[in-house]
Amino acid sequence: MDTAPVFSVENLWKVFGPKADRVPADPELTALDPAELRSRTGCTAAVRDVSFDVRKGEVFVVMGLSGSGKSTLVRCLTRLIEPTAGTIAIDGEDVRAMDRSRLRELRRHRAAMVFQHFGLLPHRSVLDNVAYGLEIQGMGKAERRERAAEVVAKVGLEGMEHRRPGQLSGGQQQRVGLARALAADPEVLLFDEPFSALDPLIRRDMQEEVIRLHHEEGRTMVFITHDLQEALKLGDRIALMRDGRVVQLGTPEEIVGAPADDYVREFVRDVPREQVLTVRTAMRRPSADQDGSGPAVRPDATVSEAIEAVARAGAPARVVDKGRCVGVVDSDTLLGVVAGTEQLAPPGTRQPKEAV
Amino acid sequence: MATITASPPRVGLPAFLKHRAVHKLLLLAVAAAILVPLANARWASGSWPSALTLDFSQPLAKASDWIIDNRDSHPLFLYFFGHVSNIVVIAVRAVYLTLLAVGWAGVTAIGALVAWRVAGVKLALGTAVAFLACGLLGMWVPTMQTLALMVVAVIASVAVGAVLGLAAGLSDRMDRVLRPVLDTMQVLPAFAYLLPVVLVFGIGVPAAVLATVIYAAPPMARLTSLGLRGADQGVLEAVESLGSTARQRLLTARIPLARKELLLGLNQTIMMALSMAVIAAVIGAGGLGDRVYQALASVDVGAALAAGIPIVLLAVVLDRVTGAAGEKLGAEPEPHSGRGWLYALAGVVVVAVAGRLAGRLDWPDAWIVNIAEPVNRAVDWMTAHLYSGVPVIGGTADWAGHFTTWVLDPMRDGLQALPWWGLLLIVAALAWVIGTWRTALTAVLAMAAIGVLGVWKPSLDTLSQVLAAVAVTLVVGFAVGIAAARSDRLERALRPVLDVFQTMPQFVYLIPVVALFGVGRAPAVAAAIVYALPAVVRITTQGLRQVDPAALEAAGSLGATSWQQLRQVQLPLARPALLLAVNQGLVLVLAVVVIGGLVGGGALGYDVVFGLAQGDLATGLVAGGAIVCLGLMLDRVTQPTERRAKKGA
Repeated sequence: MDTAPVFSVENLWKVFGPKADRVPADPELTALDPAELRSRTGCTAAVRDVSFDVRKGEVFVVMGLSGSGKSTLVRCLTRLIEPTAGTIAIDGEDVRAMDRSRLRELRRHRAAMVFQHFGLLPHRSVLDNVAYGLEIQGMGKAERRERAAEVVAKVGLEGMEHRRPGQLSGGQQQRVGLARALAADPEVLLFDEPFSALDPLIRRDMQEEVIRLHHEEGRTMVFITHDLQEALKLGDRIALMRDGRVVQLGTPEEIVGAPADDYVREFVRDVPREQVLTVRTAMRRPSADQDGSGPAVRPDATVSEAIEAVARAGAPARVVDKGRCVGVVDSDTLLGVVAGTEQLAPPGTRQPKEAV
Repeated sequence: MATITASPPRVGLPAFLKHRAVHKLLLLAVAAAILVPLANARWASGSWPSALTLDFSQPLAKASDWIIDNRDSHPLFLYFFGHVSNIVVIAVRAVYLTLLAVGWAGVTAIGALVAWRVAGVKLALGTAVAFLACGLLGMWVPTMQTLALMVVAVIASVAVGAVLGLAAGLSDRMDRVLRPVLDTMQVLPAFAYLLPVVLVFGIGVPAAVLATVIYAAPPMARLTSLGLRGADQGVLEAVESLGSTARQRLLTARIPLARKELLLGLNQTIMMALSMAVIAAVIGAGGLGDRVYQALASVDVGAALAAGIPIVLLAVVLDRVTGAAGEKLGAEPEPHSGRGWLYALAGVVVVAVAGRLAGRLDWPDAWIVNIAEPVNRAVDWMTAHLYSGVPVIGGTADWAGHFTTWVLDPMRDGLQALPWWGLLLIVAALAWVIGTWRTALTAVLAMAAIGVLGVWKPSLDTLSQVLAAVAVTLVVGFAVGIAAARSDRLERALRPVLDVFQTMPQFVYLIPVVALFGVGRAPAVAAAIVYALPAVVRITTQGLRQVDPAALEAAGSLGATSWQQLRQVQLPLARPALLLAVNQGLVLVLAVVVIGGLVGGGALGYDVVFGLAQGDLATGLVAGGAIVCLGLMLDRVTQPTERRAKKGA
């Protein structure tokens, strides 16, 4: 995982309001909470001092409730909203320093976005909507239609090429939005709450579709959502935002298993922990006599998988990594995880499970 | 959650004083108590004091003389107005000759073809029938004259309107400048535009075309701007996120997204152009309007009807076809539509060539049905039997006479007997209570300007006709509107009637009222009522029907009777719509009352007609100015607090 980051964001600020520039520069103002800042300056800080890297090939989820600044954050990445302060780099290139044509080039070829409300052109057919990005780039009609037809097939909309967006269901419209973003073959896909407007069954279908696409192509994705389940399901890493700040950044397991503060703890309280946490987190060190007995589970198996193994064998399971027994889980520890009584050390203090 | 509500001190005030309207009225009363004695001491009450009148007739007459003297020599005319005028004449002439060269068969076929392609078979048949009817009535040539003038005026209006609309849609500053101007132009009566263009261009086709363009371009501009501004922000953001340039965004997203409004703008522009092209007969437009004008001048109802029917048919066909084009948007495009056009075009060429070869370019005289005589016979019979002396109900002329003596005369005399400052106060109070101090100020200034122009008395005469007509319109319109809102069947039955009535140009309403009531003020008022009624009915019905169904359901669930629901829920919630109905009623009524000058309505409208007929532009221009002021005043008085709520922060 030591490849260079695709997006590298440091100390990013977006402040709306009069003379927004002064806010990030003034330490006195940056210390204020949102209500105070508003009454003192009339400004609203949508994104406050956010830093993160998006690694190549990962699904990076930004999650938060409405008003937490997540949608503003993703728009800052391609400067659909102009950031107030901080740096953004894509593959090491400074995005904020780009001139107009360079920025257009970024939007055309390197980062494509999928929107909550689809943003389709109602007067164009599905095929021409998908081909729109290519048309903007100046590609000829026959060529772009051919490319668009391929992508339409890829997202499962064959046979609907000549319909208008108004004749499609919400899920189908979002498939068109997804296809339009894919057509330009961008390096990164940005998703802004793409499935929030869809009903639950269709939402699950679309999530599977994204997982499938990610599996097949390994494209880097930045995914904005307010749905914790969705974040846990899709995210390799999750940045949890509140009032414009990132309050915790980590794997789903870290967020659920070791919440950074009470806000995050409250947030993840109802998550079925056994489906998110892995046995690596729950295991004890093996005692010397336990080498040979019990079923073997992988360290990245979920706790619920381990429960099944332990219940079937009626004995504690061994956690085996590359042929070596690295730990043991028994029914007590597993139950403790499910019940939430098992104290998991906060990140940093516990033994490493991954190079930090 | 730190919302601080600024609550004014409310200690010890009686409840009614807390009402804002009462505050405003009290303030106004205090101002009046100080100002009125002053005004009274200086200038007498009663009619507008002559000391406060400016005489515009001298300078205006001089200006008009100067223009007439210099029309052929001054560079402004030689190099600008002259060219404009020539281009207009040539363009209209070219279209007219083309239409004649295509022949009646060709024109009918082309009209039907276009209607078929954009609106379907039914409207194509309707179009063909309408054109043939124009020929049958012996009005083929005037119809083509009007059509030629319309084609040129509509093209110019659309071009001008689209450019202005683009500017206002893309630039906030242009929008701030243009919007109030366009909004105001929208409420002014067509008659007010005639004299200024005559002043510059003289009577003739160029003046008629330009007046039409000035009248018809604003809706195009407003709707273009509205469409560009109303584009779905989400779509525009998506388009930007794909790396489009500003030009690409405009051409591939903003303009296509505004196509509904653009087509609606085209529809409105065409309808307003037709309306004005007919009225512009007064300044030399020729064509159908001229036939109606001439016939009305000699009270020849039959001839007026023969020219009026083609106008109505033209209006209905143009409205339906452009409207259908708007509704067709968004539907799936038909396959092979190119081939359809091709076949149809071939058919048209065959018809046109056949017509040419047969030597039948002009409508054959033998096919003309003369309706003027039978109609006039019928009118004569009506005059003899229905005008007066019908037992119990009286006669139409009796009604008109009674209306004049019992309603119009007392209203006019009452208004004229009011002290001038009293009228200003009433205007101020009404406008302020309904709207803001800004609208009140504009209304009062407009009213005062009428006095300054020196046409206080005739303006009050016109105002009395307007008020009488509006009162009748509102009583009838609200009653019918409420009934239609409560009965689906009535609404369905009314809809086609309202559709036709709303598309007819103002001018043609004069024909039936002259037949029924003769000439005078009462027929002018009757025409105005008939003209304004459909809009009032429609706005009322829509307003009542758009009341939140949840509120109605809640009232019903509490056991409210339908009368209680209407009185306590629907009418209060539909108040903005009802106020809009009043506003529209006033604007529409004024437009026709003024045109009523042509059929003996007298007052300002007559001054305009007189000024045109006698070449006395000064009188006409002053009257035109007063009409503008009256229109402004009536519109502002009924303008609710904020016409458009401001969006966002």
